[in-house]
Amino acid sequence: MSEYALFVGCVIANRYPHLEKSGRMVLENLRIKFKDIPEFGCCPNPTGTLQISREAWTAAAAHNLCLAEDKGLDILTFCNGCYETLKSANVEMKNDPHHKDVVNKILSKVNMEFKGSINVVHFLEYVYKIITPEKLKETVVKPLTGLRVATFYGCHYGRPSSIVDFDDPIRPVSLDRVVEALGATSVEYLNKHTCCGSAISGIDEDSQLILLKDKLEQIDRVKADLICVICPACYMQLDGNQRKVNSKFGTNYKIPVLYLTELIALAQGIPPAELGLNFHAVKMKELIEKF
Amino acid sequence: MMISSAFRKEMSQTEIGKTINYCYQCGTCAGICPAFRVNSNYNPRRLVEDILLGFKDKLLNDKNIWLCTTCHLCLEVCPQGVLVSEMLFDLRHMAVAIGNIPENIREEGVRVFNTGLNLPNNPAIARRRTKMGLKENLMTPNVEVIQTILKEVGFPKLIEKLPEEGGNE
Repeated sequence: MSEYALFVGCVIANRYPHLEKSGRMVLENLRIKFKDIPEFGCCPNPTGTLQISREAWTAAAAHNLCLAEDKGLDILTFCNGCYETLKSANVEMKNDPHHKDVVNKILSKVNMEFKGSINVVHFLEYVYKIITPEKLKETVVKPLTGLRVATFYGCHYGRPSSIVDFDDPIRPVSLDRVVEALGATSVEYLNKHTCCGSAISGIDEDSQLILLKDKLEQIDRVKADLICVICPACYMQLDGNQRKVNSKFGTNYKIPVLYLTELIALAQGIPPAELGLNFHAVKMKELIEKF
Repeated sequence: MMISSAFRKEMSQTEIGKTINYCYQCGTCAGICPAFRVNSNYNPRRLVEDILLGFKDKLLNDKNIWLCTTCHLCLEVCPQGVLVSEMLFDLRHMAVAIGNIPENIREEGVRVFNTGLNLPNNPAIARRRTKMGLKENLMTPNVEVIQTILKEVGFPKLIEKLPEEGGNE
């Protein structure tokens, strides 16, 4: 098994370190070898820098790719945004020599060169494709039997499919299979593929919160015990802004939102107290009592 | 309203942009678009139509082009292979080039340029990280290197605050 450069990304590292904590413990449990590269910078964000300049987005992403290439490591990331950015830049430059030359000319100013020697992998992709749900099941000591889980993939995990190309872009299955391997029941709900609204938080708050309310409404309707996400931006929106939805629309949603590594950690018997679950906006006392 | 017959050609210059010529206005993109569902001011089919008709000024000054959630569903379902979302990012880039950039996006650009990160660390998070047994500061990019790269592609000019918006600057 090869070793990876861990790309935690700034949202997890600098806003939600409790997600990083569970991530690192689960990587250890799954015997995934990884290293940190302190020089990693902004991925940069596909909903931010990419909207300003495609050239800046690609060149800054290439800088991160070069840092991992220098160490001979593939990149493993916990964040959908980082995944889309780094994977897009990597695949597009590998497939198009002209594009690669243009970016390398920019990188030459800082004595770097993109060679195209590594791959970029999302944590879920790794668990699903390389570990496989069957093998993951063998690491479970506290099966999540009876737990109804609404999975939510977010937008930048499977799209654009021309770049990501391993799960269905509209009806993906990998997270559902992984959650089931932990013993839980994955529940279907309407408009599962629809955006959580996070990306337009600074543009149009009304639209952002209507999108979130719609999602919570559908998930609540199928009586899910929790939402499992694989993206810190979705986490920020679904966990952090549930209260805003409740005060705006007079609802009373209290659906816990767990990042995938937190759910795996619980199933692997890591005590909830070690995971920093108290830092979640939506409290989950009842859920924790089950562990 | 000003019409620019050259606008379609201008948009078609890139690999992404040239796919717009295959659009036959079926509206599948609008049908699946989450932004359109909650705010009818954002209609990807209509935006493509306006590009094809050459409404350049209208589009580049339209704040609604920033309502896209970047979810890429439109691009996945288009029967004609039009790279709708990516192509509308190009439209945003043209708007940014003439100074039309939402403040939150501009501020993110400034943070990336100044610190090398979208979300830099802060003392409270650093304390929390240490308490949890994590490294106090995980991401410490070489800001000078990142700034050199971003200057090379003309990024600083795109995130400048324009005088008429900034008051006394």
